[in-house]
Amino acid sequence: MKTEKENKEILTLENVSYRYSDADKNDYVLRNINYSFELGKIYAIKGKSGSGKTTLLSLISGLETKYEGNIEYNGKSLKKMDLDLYRNTYIGIVFQSYNLLPHLTASENIILSMEISKVKVKDKKKKALELMKKVGLSECFEHRRVLKLSGGEQQRIAIARSMSYHPLVLLADEPTGNLDKETEDEILNIFKELAHKENKCVIIVTHSKNVCDNADVVYELKKNKIEKHELSEK
Amino acid sequence: MYIVKNALISIIRNKGRNLLIGIIIVVIACSTTITLAIRSSAKSLINSYENSYDVEATIGINRENMKEVMRPNGEGSEEPPEKPEESTSMNMTDIFRDASNLTISDIENYGDSEYVKDYYYQVSIGVNSSTITAASMESENFDEENTFGGRPNGGRRGDFQNISASDFTLIGYSSLSAMEEFVSGKYKISEGEISSDLESTSCIINSELATLNDIEVGDEITVVDPDNEENTLTLTVTGIFEEVSDTDNQMGMFTSSINTIITNVEVTSMLQEKNEEMNSSLTPTFILTDKSVIDDFEEELKEKGLNEYLSVSTNLDEIEGATETISNVNTFATTFLVITLIIGGVVLFVINMINIRERKYEIGVYRTIGMKKSTLTLQFILELFIVSFVALMIGAGFGAVSSVPVSNYLLENEIESSSEKIENINQNFGGKPDVGGDRGFEKVNGVATVQAFDSIDAAVNVKVLLQLLAIGIGLTLVSSLAAMISIQKFSPLTILKERS
Repeated sequence: MKTEKENKEILTLENVSYRYSDADKNDYVLRNINYSFELGKIYAIKGKSGSGKTTLLSLISGLETKYEGNIEYNGKSLKKMDLDLYRNTYIGIVFQSYNLLPHLTASENIILSMEISKVKVKDKKKKALELMKKVGLSECFEHRRVLKLSGGEQQRIAIARSMSYHPLVLLADEPTGNLDKETEDEILNIFKELAHKENKCVIIVTHSKNVCDNADVVYELKKNKIEKHELSEK
Repeated sequence: MYIVKNALISIIRNKGRNLLIGIIIVVIACSTTITLAIRSSAKSLINSYENSYDVEATIGINRENMKEVMRPNGEGSEEPPEKPEESTSMNMTDIFRDASNLTISDIENYGDSEYVKDYYYQVSIGVNSSTITAASMESENFDEENTFGGRPNGGRRGDFQNISASDFTLIGYSSLSAMEEFVSGKYKISEGEISSDLESTSCIINSELATLNDIEVGDEITVVDPDNEENTLTLTVTGIFEEVSDTDNQMGMFTSSINTIITNVEVTSMLQEKNEEMNSSLTPTFILTDKSVIDDFEEELKEKGLNEYLSVSTNLDEIEGATETISNVNTFATTFLVITLIIGGVVLFVINMINIRERKYEIGVYRTIGMKKSTLTLQFILELFIVSFVALMIGAGFGAVSSVPVSNYLLENEIESSSEKIENINQNFGGKPDVGGDRGFEKVNGVATVQAFDSIDAAVNVKVLLQLLAIGIGLTLVSSLAAMISIQKFSPLTILKERS
């Protein structure tokens, strides 16, 4: 596997095509997608509803495996990787609906991710509190059950959770979709810091113009006449 | 491991769900404990019975084989006789004489077997007396019965020779254990005692005979060989017995044992030594090591030359009959246990199916953040196991509290009846404490003393708890199947899409 210093390209898509299992033979949601993502940048992927944005994110995150073509993480095909290990160590995922465990507290959700990834952290609780502070949540949220948090607070916990094991790639699916403008800006600042200061690759699927404006690179998924999907650089 | 901590957190924070599962398992565990305890008690009772009642074998006429002889063209006779009826009668008499000609050395030979724990026998001979008068039995109509195992003079099973030509029946026992009538309560010492010295020239007589002849304990009587008046023997009366129940002779003036003189085999041998032709009958009893050796023992006797018209009979039916009720309880408990487990297993499976559907989202999140299927399955099983274990312990506690009185009630009854039995036997023998004789104090003619039932508090024991634990693990695994299948089947992406 290549190191990030030798090659800043961390994710590469080669002729990636995808269609639903019950779709017609030529009814592809994504067709021949070729692109790469580099460390230190924020990528915004936009497109109309049904254009395949979330599907693309599912392919990159290893949650969907039945696709044509090849996706490589740091030079290694996902098809040859342990996808559980890939998801709990190399990439972090932030969902629009947060996907936190409701029976756990804010800090427990973050600590659980560290334990699953088996990342070597001496004091996981301390690390969790540091991450919470980093995303703008004070210690008083530590023992609060996530269902008692606001949408913005839950999203911050989801981001802290995804950062807890230091993945190189952060995938976010409509992370600000349920949030107000002010909170959206705060979340975007966290992403910017991660990309520009901590040299992470942040890929955000979004409808938001504000997010696109704050991204380093924006790609748009279009369904052209020949039903070929393309990524076009801003 | 973090999954243990995670499982505990999940249990504590989802109390309602786990409480429901817990209550169901408590009910299952409670009924299972009671059932297992009853089964255990029933088994211990059956074992107690089997240990209490020795398997006794005796030798008697094989009537099936005799019937074959009686058939004129049967397999027993090669050529049809000219006068079938007379010939058959003669054959029968010869066969009967041969078959009944058992000797003490035969019995000793048969008793020398790995299948035999102990053996004893009784010898019955007909005698007259020069010092006492026999009760007149003219009005008693049992002489015809006296042949082929009839019971005159208190005769016992296997008394297959006609010894009624004499005034008295002298019965010699080789052991106190052989005195079946005293063990069963038919005879009871009313005065004096039975001499434990089985070589002394002593005897006990019927109380009616004693009254008739004005005999008291300590008096002497002389018995005389009917065929040789010089062959006499003087016996000291050490005890007088009463015949408590006489079902054979309810219309008679006297009890059927009035002319019976009970002594030991040394006495009968002394008379027989002087007259080898003296009519006698020998009845052996073999105490077998186990009921499983009955066939082997019979086979061995045949190899040792047991007459083909004799066969081995046992008291096995009697023993099994005594435990039949308990066996039925055991069968009922087993059936109840199986039904409880099936219903319990199905209910738990269904509840867990519903729970898993409720926890589908949780599964999706765990899988999305990279938890392995195997780890997640283990965590879910662990959660269920912890709940099951706690519920099993509570259920076992309730079950133990409820089952001990029930099981002990059964055992108490058994102890009571056994104690009464021993007490009665002691009284029948004239209050003698060591009626077990050479067979030890623990058992008297197959009836155990109360010490053998000293397991009254063992209704819920380690074995029951281990069985319960095994059942609990089984139920946990069965009900975890829902979780296992769901985790393998659910795609995290689909779950999260559904949630969205």
